[in-house]
Amino acid sequence: MADESALMRSARFRQEREGDWQRLEELVTKAEKGGVQSLTFAQSRDLASLYRQATTSLAIAREISLDKALLAYLEALAARAYLSVYAPQESLGGLLGRFFTTSAPQAMRRCWPFILAGFACMGLGFLVGYLLYLENSEWFYVFMPQGLAGDRGPDASTGYLRSVIYDDDPSTSGLGAFASFLFSHNTRIAIFVFGLGAFACAPAAMLTFYNGLAFGAFYAVHVDRGLGWDIGGWLSVHGVTELSAICIACGGGLRLGFAVLFPGQNTRREALRVAGRDALKLALVAALMLLAAALLEGFARQLVQDITARYVIGWGVGALWLAWFVLGGRRRT
Amino acid sequence: MSAATMTRRERRKAKRAAREANAARVMPPEGVPLQLAIASVGVRMGAQIVDILITFAAAIAILVLLGMAGLLGITSFQGLAALLFFAIRVPYYVLAELVWNGQTLGKKFMKIKVVSHDGGPLTAHALVLRNLMKEAEIFLPGTLLLTVQVVDPVSAWISTAWVAMAFAIPLSNAYRQRLGDMLAGTHVVHLPVPILLKDLARESPRAGPAKKPAFAFLAHQLDHYGAYELQTLETVLRAQDQRMDQGHYKRNQATVVSIVDKIRRKIGYADVVKPDEAVTFLRTFYNAQRAHLEQRQIFGDRRRDKFHDAQKDEA
Repeated sequence: MADESALMRSARFRQEREGDWQRLEELVTKAEKGGVQSLTFAQSRDLASLYRQATTSLAIAREISLDKALLAYLEALAARAYLSVYAPQESLGGLLGRFFTTSAPQAMRRCWPFILAGFACMGLGFLVGYLLYLENSEWFYVFMPQGLAGDRGPDASTGYLRSVIYDDDPSTSGLGAFASFLFSHNTRIAIFVFGLGAFACAPAAMLTFYNGLAFGAFYAVHVDRGLGWDIGGWLSVHGVTELSAICIACGGGLRLGFAVLFPGQNTRREALRVAGRDALKLALVAALMLLAAALLEGFARQLVQDITARYVIGWGVGALWLAWFVLGGRRRT
Repeated sequence: MSAATMTRRERRKAKRAAREANAARVMPPEGVPLQLAIASVGVRMGAQIVDILITFAAAIAILVLLGMAGLLGITSFQGLAALLFFAIRVPYYVLAELVWNGQTLGKKFMKIKVVSHDGGPLTAHALVLRNLMKEAEIFLPGTLLLTVQVVDPVSAWISTAWVAMAFAIPLSNAYRQRLGDMLAGTHVVHLPVPILLKDLARESPRAGPAKKPAFAFLAHQLDHYGAYELQTLETVLRAQDQRMDQGHYKRNQATVVSIVDKIRRKIGYADVVKPDEAVTFLRTFYNAQRAHLEQRQIFGDRRRDKFHDAQKDEA
């Protein structure tokens, strides 16, 4: 080995720090294998301070050293250490708790105009579909997606419509299959409504409006036969939750589209990113509500045949959602 | 090469290279920029396929279990399978990236990783967002495409266009971000592998006759080359330590001798270098040249390559 003083500056630089780098490398490997929580207190302290030393070394080496291998090593080591030091530190439980107690209801309250617009789209669609059907029942076939309503079109007999609404044996009537189909259909609608919102609002609003059209026409079929109150109960059980979920998803989509249309002082991409924070929470809330709607649909609707009870359950659950959105996450003063 | 003599194609290439180098730079809060190579679309697709296989296998395992327990009807099979795949897939990506710091199993397999665009830590929000967007970007239209018999041609075309767009977006930006990445402020990088090679400057060339230094260089002889040539020489010297077979060894010897000749002519080194001393000559020259260049660099004279004098004149 050449003696110390004969070495050039960059070689001395490396010799003095090599041990620290190797120790950092060991710690990083350990942290990557078992997570940062597998380190002891002393180790995690060393990881942080050695990482900062390594970045300093890298900055110096870039200035004084022409050793390509050394530069590549330090570059890679500092990057690996950076990735372990800046890993997410939150626990899953804490994340979930924060979402339910504060961040979700707060996001809902911040976005209320968009959610209102979502409900307006659906409501207008419903109204138009309803009125158009009463004018001419052929409109039903225009609005309704093929197969979604099963046999329950304008041609079905009143007795048949009633039997579908009040049926305690779903497996024979195929209502169970219809319910699950409706659920997957509505889930898909909700996801599209949210995702399409990023394209300047229009597709999301149109899709929600269209969904309202089909819904309005479907409702009108029953009202036409004097079954309005009954179908209301049948739909209320899960529909209050499910249609609200679609409207909220639409609100999230509109939030994204609004950011694209009116980015304000930011670039469009930046505006989309900022809007994404709330929009995402709306999407998660919508997903949660769809899940709850599926449970209500699968169990409550078949089990509860009494019409008043159906209304109570459906709107009661709706009121619970509303209470969560309005009251959740408020700071006590 | 000056800008005037560059063809249009070369200029475009240089521009793209500069953009890519710029994209690969991450600025951590410490303020020392780090190089993290951007993962290409192909590598990420590989990781995605591994992940799909894993989630698919999990769904099938649960289906088989349900089937053995006799809970499975023939009619509900298809719907249940699709629902199960969906119910496993959605949380899998989010939870895996949260728990393993931006890596799913597929990403671990391909040695890539999600990092935050601004150099800060990955947030839960970013990971949830980028993975939910994946659902809307790829999986939904993708499944729609795969079940193309049941849907009408219009929606088939729409979903084809949608998937094509989802693939076109990453190709059109230097960070290779998909839509979800853009929203979440993340991109995907290759994990760098730190390998510490030994310091060439620390092994003094022993092979020469002991006591007196085998070769000596004067200051003006070291003024010809820059960092690029030095680092190329470093690569050649590091290759000398590898094991070589007979043919390889002969070719290597010829290369080394011709390099020595080139250097001697360039710097005006008068003494003859015997073929068996060629490597020793190169090592000595490397040390002297590196010491010289590093010295100049400290004084603010950074020499990128052997054209450094011409550049100075131009400036």
